[in-house]
Amino acid sequence: MISRRDLLQYSGLAALAASWPAFGQEPPAPDFRIDIAPLTLDLSPRHRLKTTAYNGQVPGALLRFKENRPVTIEVTNRTDRPEVVHWHGLFLPPEVDGAVEEGTPPIPAGSSARYTFTPRPAGFRWYHTHTMAMNDFTRGQYSGQHGFLMIEPAAEPARYDQEFFLALHDWDGYLLASGDGAMNPGYAVATINGRAMGSGEPLRVRQGQRILLHILNSSPTEVHWIALAGHDLRVVALDGNPVPTPRPVPMLRLAPAERVCAVVEMNNPGVWVLGEVRRHVQALGMAVALEYEDRRGPARWEQPSDLIWNYEQFTGAKPTLPEDPPVIVPLVIESKFRGHGAMEAWTLNGKSYPEAAIAPLERGRRYRLQFVNRSMDDHPLHLHRHSFELRNLGAPQDIHGILKDVVLVPALGRAEVEFAADHPGATLFHCHQQNHMDLGFMMVINYA
Amino acid sequence: MVLLALLCLPYLARAQANYEIQVYGAETVPPQTLMVELHSNFTAQGQQATIDGVYPTYHQEHETVELTEGLNDWSEVGFYIFTSEQDGHGAQWVGDHIRPRVRVPDSWGWPVGVSLSTEIGYQRSEYSTDTWTWEIRPIIDKSIGRWYFAVNPALERTLHGPDVNQGLGFAPSAKIGYDFTRVVSAGIEWYADYGAIGNIAPARNQQQQYFIVTDLNVSPLWEINIGVGVGASSATDHLIIKAILGRRFDWGRHSAVD
Repeated sequence: MISRRDLLQYSGLAALAASWPAFGQEPPAPDFRIDIAPLTLDLSPRHRLKTTAYNGQVPGALLRFKENRPVTIEVTNRTDRPEVVHWHGLFLPPEVDGAVEEGTPPIPAGSSARYTFTPRPAGFRWYHTHTMAMNDFTRGQYSGQHGFLMIEPAAEPARYDQEFFLALHDWDGYLLASGDGAMNPGYAVATINGRAMGSGEPLRVRQGQRILLHILNSSPTEVHWIALAGHDLRVVALDGNPVPTPRPVPMLRLAPAERVCAVVEMNNPGVWVLGEVRRHVQALGMAVALEYEDRRGPARWEQPSDLIWNYEQFTGAKPTLPEDPPVIVPLVIESKFRGHGAMEAWTLNGKSYPEAAIAPLERGRRYRLQFVNRSMDDHPLHLHRHSFELRNLGAPQDIHGILKDVVLVPALGRAEVEFAADHPGATLFHCHQQNHMDLGFMMVINYA
Repeated sequence: MVLLALLCLPYLARAQANYEIQVYGAETVPPQTLMVELHSNFTAQGQQATIDGVYPTYHQEHETVELTEGLNDWSEVGFYIFTSEQDGHGAQWVGDHIRPRVRVPDSWGWPVGVSLSTEIGYQRSEYSTDTWTWEIRPIIDKSIGRWYFAVNPALERTLHGPDVNQGLGFAPSAKIGYDFTRVVSAGIEWYADYGAIGNIAPARNQQQQYFIVTDLNVSPLWEINIGVGVGASSATDHLIIKAILGRRFDWGRHSAVD
């Protein structure tokens, strides 16, 4: 049964038009425009590279949408190959979600298209290319095609005086032999908002302020650990969704595509480093200065001695979803050796995309995806068009209340998430590591 | 590398061979890591006469300890202890070499791995009439899927001994390997010595050796290489069995935040 709300959502208000109306009529002006075009980017005085970006900047423009208010974005592809823009974390119909595998039409080179949809749910989302890169480390998520997307909530998860949007990214990739016997990407430069340490503007704050950091890991493949020297970070939302138990932490861990919103009290005047905790990554440039008003001088870093993070610390006491038994869907993740001179291929339950499949979902039912990672790599797993609830991360007890759209499943580890099948249509599930999804780690889930 | 053999050819009759038989890859040992390798080479068919005071190679067992310490992400230094065991001569120390090496960092994005090693050392006259030798070895390698290619066009010079006036010698080696599984690779290694540049030795005096080898990649900590080689010229030992067993030791205080 299709409800009126569905009709509005999936037909009238959600459409991707690749050509303009006939009879010379000009379409109404879009709410936003995105130009995809080549860009020469100065990551630092020593690192200039050619990439592809949105609206001539990295990250792309911050888009602010109102929840449930339809928007139209006109995207012009000024590159020489097809592109598609994925609206990550939104509940969108497959025609506009931005994955060709689900049915979103690609935007041909030199063409424009419009994405019209009703944005929801509220929170910190993002948009990015959803194309293959294979061994070309200038394409896909290796490029600069990512931007912040904020769907304004009716109520903020935390009071704040100033907010900053920060994107973590790795650049200038090359193939590197890794300990698991296969090749993986390595990077020459790591940045925050497209600038290596010392090359961008500092974050300027005043004593007594409460700042809200919206941090996105847009890296094609790398997990990042972020700390702000001299300050704790109070995590209030993960992947844009408020956490049941906000908690101050010394550092954040963000897998590719994950977002963290954290409040910081500006109560320790000085000039501080906000950056990668691991020395060798910070040395590649992933840091930015945070400067209190009237304070100058070199930014100060306090090196943590260990990496500390877990999702469970933000769990809630009560389940978010009803407790009727979900349908259990085991998903076993394995790698396929392709030689010491190649990146590994990937399988889900023994099959790679497009053969990988599970039974069609029944609309309205709840499903529990049981991830069993039998590989030596961590995997940031992303489900399109839905949020899921973290339910088990390998410990004896289940957890509740943490809603996300990406979960990092550690090497040789397990994780379980639950979601309600309430957004019918083809739904892509994949590892958000670009080289993993390129090499088979994807699956289209269909609804019955 | 067929270290001492290549250093001493085309005067094979006065030299010994086969203390380290290995085609180098371009990778260097990571910093704060010590690579300990034992090279075990047995000459099943070789030179049977003592010539110019140099012991015969026939049924000699060579045990070489190679210690390689990573200095940083792009350099290392290796040290060799050569020994020989043979009926009638017992276990003997043969000599020592030192070998610094630098490489092109991965971050330069070169399409092939490239490194350059230089090696200098001493060996006793009972095992080589040329007692002090020097070598410079460019190393180029490439992995493509399951295939592995490496070439070492080495140049060498005698610093003390009868061949001191021979100038630079040319002693290339190469390897082609194929990964049958994640653990098991196999391939062919080729070692040659053409004598002095500008005065290439006649074919019968050149050294030409071919090894069928297997590499067992059982762990990132371990290196295992086993092979059987035949000599394709009269100046070459005719049948050699070789093995390399290596273990990496991480001695630094690494933490998760390094």
